[in-house]
Amino acid sequence: MKKKWISVTNFTILAIILISTVLLFLLVQDNKSLQVRIGILLSVLYVSWGIIHHSMIGSLHPKVVIEYLLVGAIAVTLIITVVWM
Amino acid sequence: MGLPELRLNAKLSEAATKKAQDMFSHNYWSHTSPEGATPWNFIVASGYQYTMAGENLAKNFSNSSGVVDAWMASPTHKDNIVKPAYRDIGFAIVNGTLDGEETTLVVQMFGASDTEEIAQKTIPLSTGITTEALGDQTPMMPVEFQAQEASKSLVQSLSSVIQTPKINIPTITRDTVFIFLGLLIGILALDGFVISRNKIVRVAGHNLAHIMFFVSLCVALMLVKRGVLL
Repeated sequence: MKKKWISVTNFTILAIILISTVLLFLLVQDNKSLQVRIGILLSVLYVSWGIIHHSMIGSLHPKVVIEYLLVGAIAVTLIITVVWM
Repeated sequence: MGLPELRLNAKLSEAATKKAQDMFSHNYWSHTSPEGATPWNFIVASGYQYTMAGENLAKNFSNSSGVVDAWMASPTHKDNIVKPAYRDIGFAIVNGTLDGEETTLVVQMFGASDTEEIAQKTIPLSTGITTEALGDQTPMMPVEFQAQEASKSLVQSLSSVIQTPKINIPTITRDTVFIFLGLLIGILALDGFVISRNKIVRVAGHNLAHIMFFVSLCVALMLVKRGVLL
C-alpha cells in the first residue's frame, strides 16, 4: 500500500515536471539555444526522477540506471537534431 | 497606428531580390556578405538614392503571417516596420538552397528618398516576387499600387535563384524523428501490455514513465519552429 502511494505521488510529480517543461519550451519558441537547454534540463530531471523513484520503491538496479540514462541520451539527441536542424 | 502608407518600390524590391540571390550564391545568412557587401550596396546598385534605409530578413517560415508575427514580436524588426521616416518598401521571397538546406528567404527593404521620382516607380505585388514561396500571401504592409510596369528583368533574375531540391533533408530528418518517437512509444506500450498481462517480474524502468516522457518530448519538439529572423 505504501509503495502504491509513493508511486502515485512520484508519477504526479513527474507529470508536473513534464507539463512545466513543455510549457517552458512553448515560452521560448523563438530562442533555439534556450530550447536545447530546456530539453537537456528535461532529460536530466527525468533521469533523476527515475533514479529517485526506483530507490524509493526499492527497485534501483544498475540496469535501471542505464535504462534511464539511455532514454535521457536518446531525448537529448532528438532535441538537438530537431532544434538545430 | 496612424502611420503613412508605405509604397511598394520596384528598386527596393530589386535590391531585395539581388540580396536574396547573393545570399544563395555566396551561401550566407547575414546582413553583410562574406565579401563585405552591405544591404546599402544593393539598394544603391538598384538605383534607389536613399536618405535612410533598413533591412529585415527571415527564413524558413511556412506562411506569411508567421513571418509578420515574428517580425512584430521582435523589437528591432518592428522598429523598421513602424518607423514613420520610411516611405518605400521592397520585398523578395525566394526559394533556394542555403547551406545544403532548402530555404525560403524573405528580404524586406525599407527606404526614404529625397527623389520622389524614384519613389513613384512602384510595382504591384503580383509580379512574382511575393507569391509562390509562402503560399497564402497577403500584403504584409498597406501598399500603394501605382505604376503597373512590372520589372521583367527582376522576375527573370528571380527565376534564376529558384531551386527545388529533390530531397528536403530537414523535413525528412524531422519526420524521421517523429516516426522514431512514435515507434518507441508504441513498442513501450506493447511491452507494458504484455508484461502486465503475463504478470512478468523483471528489473526494468517504468514503461508508463517512459511513455509519458516521450509523449512530452513529442509535444515539445512539435513546438520547435523552423523560421529564423535576422
